[in-house]
Amino acid sequence: MAAPLLEVKNLTVRYSPKLHAPLNAVEDVSFAIAPGEFVGLIGESGSGKSTLANAILRLTERPGKIAAGQILFDGLDITTMSQDALRPYRWRDISTVFQSSMNALNPVTHVEDQFRDAIELHSKLRGDQVVDRIKELFDLVMIDHRFITAYPHELSGGMKQRVNLALALANDPKFVLLDEPTTGLDVVVQRSILENVRRLQREQGFAVLFISHDIGTVLDMSDRILIMYAGRIVEEHDTRDLLRDPLHPYSKGLLGSYADPRAETVRITYVPGRPPDLSREHQGCLFAPRCPEKIERCLTVEPQPLAIAASDGATGAGQATEAIDTGRPRVACHVAHLQREAPDTPGLPAPTKRFLGPEFVKSVDETAAAVTNEVFLEVKDVYKTFRTRRGFRVESNEVITGVSFELRRGMVTALVGQSGSGKSTIARMITGVDRPTSGEIVFHSKGGPLNVGRLGVGQLTRYRKFVQMVFQDPYSSLNPNKTLHYILSRPLKNHRRMSGEALRKEIDNLLERVALTPPGRYRGRYGYELSGGQRQRVVIARALAAEPELIIADEPISSLDVSIRAEILELLHRLVQDSDVGILYITHDLLSARMLADEVIVLNDGRIVERGEALDVIRDPEDEYTRRLLEAIPNPFADMPA
Amino acid sequence: MTTNPAQPTPQVQPGGTIDPGDLAVAAAQVEEVETGPTWWQVIWSSKKARFGLILLGAYILMAILAPVLAPYAADNLTFNPIEMPSSAHPLGTTTQGADILSQLIWGSRVSLIVGLFGGLFATAVALLIGLVSGYLEGTWVDDVLSFFTNVALVVPVLPLIITLMAYSEVRSIWFTVLIIGIISWAGPARAKRAQIITLRNRDFVTAAKFAGDNTLTIIFREILPQMTSLVAAGFFGAATGAIGAEAGLSFLGLGNTESVSWGTMLYQAQLQGALAQGLWIWLLVPGLVLSGLILALTLINFGIDLISNPLLREDA
Repeated sequence: MAAPLLEVKNLTVRYSPKLHAPLNAVEDVSFAIAPGEFVGLIGESGSGKSTLANAILRLTERPGKIAAGQILFDGLDITTMSQDALRPYRWRDISTVFQSSMNALNPVTHVEDQFRDAIELHSKLRGDQVVDRIKELFDLVMIDHRFITAYPHELSGGMKQRVNLALALANDPKFVLLDEPTTGLDVVVQRSILENVRRLQREQGFAVLFISHDIGTVLDMSDRILIMYAGRIVEEHDTRDLLRDPLHPYSKGLLGSYADPRAETVRITYVPGRPPDLSREHQGCLFAPRCPEKIERCLTVEPQPLAIAASDGATGAGQATEAIDTGRPRVACHVAHLQREAPDTPGLPAPTKRFLGPEFVKSVDETAAAVTNEVFLEVKDVYKTFRTRRGFRVESNEVITGVSFELRRGMVTALVGQSGSGKSTIARMITGVDRPTSGEIVFHSKGGPLNVGRLGVGQLTRYRKFVQMVFQDPYSSLNPNKTLHYILSRPLKNHRRMSGEALRKEIDNLLERVALTPPGRYRGRYGYELSGGQRQRVVIARALAAEPELIIADEPISSLDVSIRAEILELLHRLVQDSDVGILYITHDLLSARMLADEVIVLNDGRIVERGEALDVIRDPEDEYTRRLLEAIPNPFADMPA
Repeated sequence: MTTNPAQPTPQVQPGGTIDPGDLAVAAAQVEEVETGPTWWQVIWSSKKARFGLILLGAYILMAILAPVLAPYAADNLTFNPIEMPSSAHPLGTTTQGADILSQLIWGSRVSLIVGLFGGLFATAVALLIGLVSGYLEGTWVDDVLSFFTNVALVVPVLPLIITLMAYSEVRSIWFTVLIIGIISWAGPARAKRAQIITLRNRDFVTAAKFAGDNTLTIIFREILPQMTSLVAAGFFGAATGAIGAEAGLSFLGLGNTESVSWGTMLYQAQLQGALAQGLWIWLLVPGLVLSGLILALTLINFGIDLISNPLLREDA
């Protein structure tokens, strides 16, 4: 490797809040980035990736502190440099696109002024020259020049993100740090922005550290990948080699969360358990409690991220080295090292490229049966128009245009579309929150048909016994002040009039159905004490409590960590198998639709553009829009031999 | 079909399986999750709030132990008037021959009672009106409640009080509490209405609707607990206001004339021209203890701020 542009040596970032136990969010992290290199950093929530990003930018805030190690930029030690001394380098040599960059533009000044500030501070350009430069930058990110004089609120989310990217490039930086730059954006928009980033990086030759929780997007873009778990870098590997031969079991787990939805049989794995609490004493490998490959040694000795000895065995066999710049992959795993250096060690598991944990498998022949079940919800030629009054004018905006479909008992129908396609509006109308402007929605309950658009307030409460919801974000849909017992008792009391011993038994029964066992351990817990996956199980249990006939699941996995998504899909799948509840599964992700749904309805701009059995739609999409959605699924294995 | 997470797939090699016992270990971590500091630990961690709590405690003790601490009864007018501080009268006597220290100690009862009940009353009204109108924003119920809130906000307070006080038959401490409650609920009600508007569209509120809960259950059992720190801060603010208002009303001669409070002491001192007679202590000490109590309540609110904004906790 050439002389590195950015070098991080044994960096430790420690949080010591006044009222909590201290912890090292980043511990002993070392890596280097060469000029013009595109490096991806993957880590799931709580892995310390944003802490690391802030430390590199020297933006660590109290109670965080760089406790040890060094950050060298272009040979210059910036670890302890004062904020004033750093100022000339910021935005000229190092720039960034922030995680929440939807809010990173100042809402009260024109976009032009924000560029002008950044450009005039670091260059000799003034007046019209600056405007010319802004035009150049807008061309780079493909935004019309008329938006130069716009206010940030006049731009769409995707445009704001492009503007942020253009702003980061304003002074031709040597290094750009992208911290989850597309989080919260629509899949299709996300795709186009990332392609833009990659093209610009090739043309302009700046180095990038691209941080994401989503291994799929990082794989498409990066030359080299760092994988972070519990504040440590557990694997560093060239992207292509990582796909061919992942070393760390956690990397295998992350890769296992993806598959080609077009395949006959789709298998996705998940990593059981949850990341460790770093404020506690620990011994051995931090991934060991979740690891299917662990050996005795993993429980006692913490593995260091050492380079794998060259596979041809030319250099001293079995000698792992600590040097960073050998270009050889590094991994912090005893098993991976032993398998390559001392394969005869007793008790060592055989090498594998797949994650050996639990998996969720879906094959072709499963869907056929359900399509003949009885229809229980009919959406008939529904239109929905929102009217907003602007002064004397009334603007109307038609969001749903003539949508008709039906749902069947015991069957999963996926409603697929990008944000703004109208899928949530349809869900709101089916649950009775909104009424259709014209057309009708008829629910055939076991007690007779109900016209959902015309229910009164009291009828609506009774209707909700039949239709329940699973929300997108389990962190906001569980009241943080209530125990699981309270949360689950409400629907049982209100919809099923249960109380006393029967109520308690049913709560235990529900907890068992969603695999939160033993129930006694969970009943008295609060939502914040559970992991994201466990919370989503509680949300599902609450939806089941009313014994509904239909569950509307609105993107139930999109806010969960990639490595545990399959766990929730599997649970939903099992519920449909075990009872005759129907699920309307709302998503933008065709892979999860394939895993769960019998039928797929593709929605674009409030119209149904395609509809059919899940596998038919995914394998043989007829509509251009469906094809675009399919392309937006990150598929690391797309160009790998099967 | 799916595979059971607890049972590994058959092709897995020995050593390459997940031991169900380990899964239990991973799951067992839920047992030991750090729950974070309790609310009183948070408040106590702030030096300002700690000082405020201790100071408030001292005032409460003074009020409770008044019969023990005060050398004489507050309405004992049998001493020599205008005496300078001495061992018999540590703060001297008034022009009417009352012991100033005794009046000061007994007077704390009135201020604390008015603060407590005035604050509670104003907070309760503000909660009821603010929460209901905020939750039902955009409906006619909100229109009506907001109308009354707005009226209460713009009505000139002082003339209203003077009129009410002037025409009232009774002049008890409870009447003062009532008047203070009536004039001070509107601002907090507005604040709570704004807060609930941001909370009522949270997913857990929608979830409660799906669970069949009615509106009042949702407001008071799901949403209200999210705003406890706001409510507590509102209560201390209202109590501070009530104490100040009582002193102000009494100073204007509109308070309860039968009992001694710091406000009536100031009123009397002003009326009798205390300064001209060299009795500056008479004027100074009630003002001083009054500011001390208000300071204590304000400092406690700094601690409450830490509950709702954890970032503030790290400030040195």
